[in-house]
Amino acid sequence: MNVQRSVGATRYVGQRTARKEDGRLLVGRGQFTDDVRLPGMLHVTYVRSAVARGRIVSIDTEAAREMPGVHAIYTQADLAALPVQMLSFFFAPIEAPVTLLADGRVACVGEPVAMVIAESRAQAEDAASLVEVTIEEEAPLVTIADARTGPLVHPGRDDNVAAEMGDEDALDAIQPLIDGAAHVVTQTVHHQRIAQSPMECRACVASPDGTGEMTVWMGCQSPHLAARYLSLALGLPAESIRVIAKDVGGGFGLKNIPWREEVAVVVAARLFGRPLKWIEDRFEALTASSHAREQEATLTAGFDAEGRLTAGWCDYACNNGAWPMGEDANIAVHMFMWPAYKLPAYGFITRGWYTNTMGLGAYRGPWAMETLLRETLLDKAARRLGISPVEIRRRNLVYLSDQPHTSTLGVEVNDITPGECLEKLVANVDIAGFRKEQKEARRQGRYLGLGFAAYIEPTGAAGTMAPMTGETAQLRIEPTGKVTAMLSTHSQGHGTATTMAQVIAEQLGVLYEDVSVFEGDSAIGAFGPGAAGSRQGVIAGGATWRASQLLAEKVKVVAAHLSNAGPDAVTISGGMVHVEGAPEMSRSLKEIAEIAYGEPGRLPEGMASGLEAQFRYQPPPVTMTSAAHCCMVEVDAETGFVKILRWISSEDCGTVINPGVVEGQIAGGLAQAIGQVLLEEMPYDARGNPLAATFKDYLMPAISDVPDFEYIHANTPAQTIGGMRGVGEGGAIIGPPTLVNAIADALSPFCEIEELTLPLTPARILDVIEQRDVSGTRDRANRDEAARARDEMAEAPPLASEVSAQGPQASIDGDWNMTLKAPMGGQSFLAHFEADGAELSGYLSAPDGRQDFSGGTFENGRMQFMVKVDNPMKVTLKYDLQAGADTITGKCKMGMFGTAKVTAVRV
Amino acid sequence: MKPAPFDYERPSSIGEACRLLDEAGGGATVIAGGQTLVPLLNLRMSQPFILVDINGIDALKGISRVEGGTRVGPATSQAEALSDETLGRHLPALVTALGHVGHYQTRNRGTIGGSVALGEPAAEMPAAAVALGATIEIASVRGNRSVKADEFYLGPFMTVLEPDELVTGIVYPDWPPDHVVLFREVAQRPGDFALVGMVGALAIADGKISRAGLAWFGMGPTPIKARQAEVALIGAAPGEADAQAIAELAVADTAPFGDHRASAEYRRTVGRRIFVRALREALEAKETA
Amino acid sequence: MSEHRIELTVNGRPHSARVEARMSLGEFLREELGYTGTHLACEHGVCGACTVSVDGVAMRSCLMLAVQADGADVGTVEGLAAADGTLHPVQQALRDNFGLQCGFCTPGIAITLTTVLTDNPRASEAEMEAAMSGHVCRCTGYQGIRRAIRQLAGHGAGEAA
Repeated sequence: MNVQRSVGATRYVGQRTARKEDGRLLVGRGQFTDDVRLPGMLHVTYVRSAVARGRIVSIDTEAAREMPGVHAIYTQADLAALPVQMLSFFFAPIEAPVTLLADGRVACVGEPVAMVIAESRAQAEDAASLVEVTIEEEAPLVTIADARTGPLVHPGRDDNVAAEMGDEDALDAIQPLIDGAAHVVTQTVHHQRIAQSPMECRACVASPDGTGEMTVWMGCQSPHLAARYLSLALGLPAESIRVIAKDVGGGFGLKNIPWREEVAVVVAARLFGRPLKWIEDRFEALTASSHAREQEATLTAGFDAEGRLTAGWCDYACNNGAWPMGEDANIAVHMFMWPAYKLPAYGFITRGWYTNTMGLGAYRGPWAMETLLRETLLDKAARRLGISPVEIRRRNLVYLSDQPHTSTLGVEVNDITPGECLEKLVANVDIAGFRKEQKEARRQGRYLGLGFAAYIEPTGAAGTMAPMTGETAQLRIEPTGKVTAMLSTHSQGHGTATTMAQVIAEQLGVLYEDVSVFEGDSAIGAFGPGAAGSRQGVIAGGATWRASQLLAEKVKVVAAHLSNAGPDAVTISGGMVHVEGAPEMSRSLKEIAEIAYGEPGRLPEGMASGLEAQFRYQPPPVTMTSAAHCCMVEVDAETGFVKILRWISSEDCGTVINPGVVEGQIAGGLAQAIGQVLLEEMPYDARGNPLAATFKDYLMPAISDVPDFEYIHANTPAQTIGGMRGVGEGGAIIGPPTLVNAIADALSPFCEIEELTLPLTPARILDVIEQRDVSGTRDRANRDEAARARDEMAEAPPLASEVSAQGPQASIDGDWNMTLKAPMGGQSFLAHFEADGAELSGYLSAPDGRQDFSGGTFENGRMQFMVKVDNPMKVTLKYDLQAGADTITGKCKMGMFGTAKVTAVRV
Repeated sequence: MKPAPFDYERPSSIGEACRLLDEAGGGATVIAGGQTLVPLLNLRMSQPFILVDINGIDALKGISRVEGGTRVGPATSQAEALSDETLGRHLPALVTALGHVGHYQTRNRGTIGGSVALGEPAAEMPAAAVALGATIEIASVRGNRSVKADEFYLGPFMTVLEPDELVTGIVYPDWPPDHVVLFREVAQRPGDFALVGMVGALAIADGKISRAGLAWFGMGPTPIKARQAEVALIGAAPGEADAQAIAELAVADTAPFGDHRASAEYRRTVGRRIFVRALREALEAKETA
Repeated sequence: MSEHRIELTVNGRPHSARVEARMSLGEFLREELGYTGTHLACEHGVCGACTVSVDGVAMRSCLMLAVQADGADVGTVEGLAAADGTLHPVQQALRDNFGLQCGFCTPGIAITLTTVLTDNPRASEAEMEAAMSGHVCRCTGYQGIRRAIRQLAGHGAGEAA
């Protein structure tokens, strides 16, 4: 009997299918950017600032130009021939105007000052060492504390606040709630600076291919996004720049967007007219690639007598450095701190500060601080209240039965499962047994600890921010009967060719081996931001899923037509097309494809020849992933060393396409989490020098630092095509508090970790055990040294507010073109003002509406007024402006969305 | 990260190597395994005019017994030394310490002499040489000389070696066959330089400690000989020595520095503890023996 | 700046070239001979990505000069698989166990495990894991690499279908 299988009878989704990418990567046949070699290609290296802050007096390139093999040495004056506007990930202009090479001033060590183009990298470095840069050094601002009190990092700005959100005034309402709580628990975290450290450093090869054409090979997280960024930054048509990134050795957020060095290579290649290659070395990568994290935050929460949350407040600051890849106050920390928990009231103030350090970039789970603050605070609270860490979460988590649920900040959740993940976890871990073992061990002077954490994560974001879009899948069954997929995806290790091929094989009914996936090229597929925000499995997975179904439909219609059957009678399996009840009519896909391409006359009337389908998937704006983890550690009380004994992950990422790939993502994130908690740190000295310039100083987790991870999958399908939820970042988000909580539990017989300073080096662990300053963390010597360093150096320019002269008050009546620069993009509108003595009224008018206001004040040129807005959210905009004769400048406070810069000129 | 240009010579004899070093007038650097030197070259922290590669000099390789001790050719690879039977029999402390030097891949190329001669203060080999009382044999066109390991090190990466001199051998004196090995190292990852570590040996004769050689690594600008502790131990019966008090004396000889990985206070605190543990274990082993 | 003529074999094939004294073996393999499977990821001997075998012994190709490889028999990742494309057991084990993600560190790891097993075909899990201390992988959290090691040590089969 001929048993016919239905579509999907061969399961590929959910299988540990071996990866397609491995075929080339395991045998040394990958194509990373440094593997690209072009005729006439020259090599680039950068001369970088050795000084954290100062005015460039001169750049002497004469001796360097004479060196063998040197073709050109460019400074910003040369590159300026091609104007560039650097943009953030959101395609918004960088606020502190950043040039490709330093323009008159340097603002951090490692800042590129000049570019050497030579025949080999070694020759370029020989010449670079002879470029003499004279800088009038000024005292740098290194820490967030420096930024709060010191002179301006960027002269001409009002202060060192790079970005600000939240509403300090809201504390008036929150504080009484906290004060009235039965228990108040505070957690302060000093998160160290991280170097993302993908194994392949940044890299760029730019080849000018004639008038207006350019091919760029670049280590990036999406060739489409990189091409779009370059075209916008350089003001060129998008079609004229093609970005190829077949293999990329890890991104982790660092390669979200091209930055100064990559863009400079593209610009220089155009100017010089030859292919140029820049391969970042590890010294540059550690000291002069954008860094991540470096945050200081204090979270305070009130609990009722039963341990239920009543109110919370967070004061958060992060060190943006001098030239961040987009000024950032990290509002996501606050948006996603509480949606998984029942917290009646929450407020925050959040600020990013400029300093004279390397700029801030993204890193896996950029908002991860919320989980670290909250989950470590919860464990502290549990110890204070004398309840278990599981119990305090049970009393506060939003379980499925509590949903839909809207957080105090307006985030709605309707299918999250952190509580369910926690229950699964608890069911699989013998907590009572561990507690018994822990008790016995303590008697022998061995300190074991158990830590839990739960979290949710917004993944697969699309449609709310410029680069976060849907994904496109283009599929073809070739005349050979094999399947070609052209996707907008990009893998820097994610294995998208594998997982997408699994989806295609299953949904189309072909063999996995017969699917070829093409990605990694802006000329392939359509726009997609690649790996950013745990999104490709969710969105590209959905696009591929549906496109495969569409293509299967076409095959069925053709086969039905050829067999005089109905399409419903047709099934595809293993590359064969079967017709129900007519086994003799079975054809291979190759036969069908040959007809579809070569004999279009045999196709149904009006049907296009060939076998193709395309689908662009626009998913729900956000898809939530949930997880709960626990780990067990032993702390050596003599040395302060931590050994991780066991780690169990219980996550819900919906449909799992390939458990090997999903678990690989979780494991990679957890290893990075372990690095963050125990090893990694990019410290700066008081002069602004980054101190971990090699992998001997920047400690990456090694195999011995990472235990065997155990996994529990919950598989609650999401409301997306295919039901996938994102899983790329989760391990790096939930990992740190899981480990910190286990260490804190182990240390609980000694003392609470009062303030958490990462990494928890052996010395800092001894601080807790011995209740003295073994680590020197509390030692003020560094600060004194910083003060001394400042005294010795030239005075920096004063704060702008101190120099702004008060002129006579001019009339402001009439129409103005006003621009409001918000962190995720700008807005322009018409403003009309009427001043009656000190009273100010008027209106703001944009194409989508007009808001009138009155009751404002106008004194000594200072204009203060409020405008209430209902759309897209209810918010009161508080304007505080200073009027000149023809310009108005100032700020607009937008509730918790922070403060926008305002400028206006007379119409 | 490419080195500045240099010339390269590969002499086949000690004499030729010394002549090259002499002619370079201070501009030459000796390369053996290169596992510490090449990173410095790549970072352009070291910019010699000439690199003198001693891997072609057979006389600098191999392990041999000499009167009263064992001689290790400086160009002997760490991996070879680790599996050498003579060393295993006569210098178990050295072999124990070697197991903590670098990684599988770097031990395959890194040499004993390179590690001894470079003088990284947190490395195992210089401290082992100091603890075990090694003598470093040195040659130059001006003649040969020998320097005791505890007089060889001046500061971080600084030794008494003149630019024209070449280490031609490291002679470790014999210890009694039943001597006890002491070794403890605290490092964040396997193969890392130590945050703090100690290595040494104790010999007992007639129920008394007759000989003690103990040294720290990661506890100062050079490997540091725990002189006061050695003096206090000699003549004591294993059962009577106060490990805690002796460890205090040992720490008193150190001058640790602090960096972002560990403070000076951490190194002292933990150094004292590992010293006590290592010493107690050694003394107990002897007491019960 | 001296130049030197060297002769060596790479994956069994003879090569001769003139090299600048300062050129590392890793750079020489990549730039002069086109063996781009060897990756230079730190150039200071810590990460292990550039590990190749020299006369059968695993070494950092960033810490050895090309001129020092005169007369040597060098093995790179390109030489591991059989001529017919059959993967070396180490490569197969990595593939079977999701032992790589971005693949940048993988060539060095494959060489290290291969040389450990060539030296001692019965090498234990602990020996292989100890040799892995000289490698950094940023993607996998070492889980698949450890499973591959177990497979190579004879415990447990690969998990990939």
